[in-house]
Amino acid sequence: MAAEKEAAGVDPFEAFRQMRDTYLEGMSKVMIDAVNTEEYAQASGALLNNYLTLSAPFREAMDKAMIMALEQFSLPSRQQVVALAERFTNLEMRLDDLDAKLDRIVELASATRTPSPGPSTPGRRPAAPHAASRPSNKKS
Amino acid sequence: MAGTAELSNGWSVLDQKLRTFSRLMTTKAAIGQTPKELIWTLNKAKLYRYIPVVPAEERYPIPLILIFALMNRPTIMDLRPGHSFVEYMVGKGYDVYLLDWGVPGPEDKKLKFDDYTLDYMPRAIRKMKAVSGATEFSMLGWCIGAILTTIYASLRPDDGLRNLTLLTAPLDFSATQKLTFARWTDEKYFNVDRVLAAFGNMPGEMIDYGAKALKPIENYITNYCKLWDNLDDLRVVESWHSMNTWVTDICPMAGGAYRQLIVDLYRNNRLMKGELKIRGEVVNLRRLRANLLNVIAEGDHITPPCQSEAMLPKVGSTDTEIYRVPGGHIGIMAGSGANKRTWPHIDSWLAARSR
Repeated sequence: MAAEKEAAGVDPFEAFRQMRDTYLEGMSKVMIDAVNTEEYAQASGALLNNYLTLSAPFREAMDKAMIMALEQFSLPSRQQVVALAERFTNLEMRLDDLDAKLDRIVELASATRTPSPGPSTPGRRPAAPHAASRPSNKKS
Repeated sequence: MAGTAELSNGWSVLDQKLRTFSRLMTTKAAIGQTPKELIWTLNKAKLYRYIPVVPAEERYPIPLILIFALMNRPTIMDLRPGHSFVEYMVGKGYDVYLLDWGVPGPEDKKLKFDDYTLDYMPRAIRKMKAVSGATEFSMLGWCIGAILTTIYASLRPDDGLRNLTLLTAPLDFSATQKLTFARWTDEKYFNVDRVLAAFGNMPGEMIDYGAKALKPIENYITNYCKLWDNLDDLRVVESWHSMNTWVTDICPMAGGAYRQLIVDLYRNNRLMKGELKIRGEVVNLRRLRANLLNVIAEGDHITPPCQSEAMLPKVGSTDTEIYRVPGGHIGIMAGSGANKRTWPHIDSWLAARSR
């Protein structure tokens, strides 16, 4: 590797690179110390607060205008869509509960149908048929 | 004449470098490529099962579920073919599952640790048990995922969790002087409720800025300088590309969970004090009885080692181990040395406890 580099000649940028790396290393330490100070925390907090204060009236105005525009077009507002999404999630949870109960029923039914093979070893049960793990089996 | 040829050669090298650099900046690498199937969904969360490559009789009977943080995508666990933790573990004979939290929308702003640990995780684990046929399982939590798995393991110790691996787990927030994030999010300067009232969820861009601002020169300058110096090294280029694809794939964090992270953990250290309540139930670490491997990155600037070290004496597990790895928060699992140190250690630790 070194011989190859030698054969390729001296890299005129090598000195520049070393200088750059040394400078960046020094700067990095300075900046890490700088961001880890109370002053930086205070300044970044103030910056964020100012942004929130300045942008709040615009955000509120935009929200109101959007709600009015959507109403005019008979379209649901963001809040209504959010409420719908929350209801969907609740439904999904109910479905998941039903799925769990069905799995349990299938398990109990198969246990009563077949005589017990003896004490089972944890983790050694045969894998459940994949079709039983409805409803969302699909290749990603 | 020779001078002209040299100049021309120099220009073509520069041209090639610029083309490669532009490609890396404007395209996404193919990450998360290990074959998998979707077996469960709830809201944005998805549970994947990786297609086993080892015959069933040679596989470990205890499945492994991976749980990553809430504010980044879990594709870091399966970065690229040939350098993927998932691919490695599947190849070693584990039945591997991944719980992907998905990207929260405005409708998820109220989601809290309570919902993740008591609604999502138990349901996903039930599905994993149904599919694998196992009654016991192993779990691996990384970063915020380690907080969630610790809470779950403490609240549901009888759910069949045999082995718990924590990676760079931010659990102890007592050493506030060593935690830059704690300083930035101190209530004197940072009004978390005001931020969440404005945005609903914590924007991914703000979280990303926070993580990068811990080491600003490295993340905003040195990273690109090093890439430029190595643009003719295909191995470095592809590795950088896949990592950059993951780093730039940012997502917001649900407002409720973010508030808990700041108020309950960063400001009040409630988990370690035994004061954290999840749906009214106190999280008692003493109830965590699973075999425990705590992997600590010695050079971690996001979760300094002091945040993970103090938890072992507080848990009820009798089989515990701390494994220290040189490297950073992400590097220990996705860096070039991960397949020589961290992955083999996790594999050997789990293998001894998965029969």
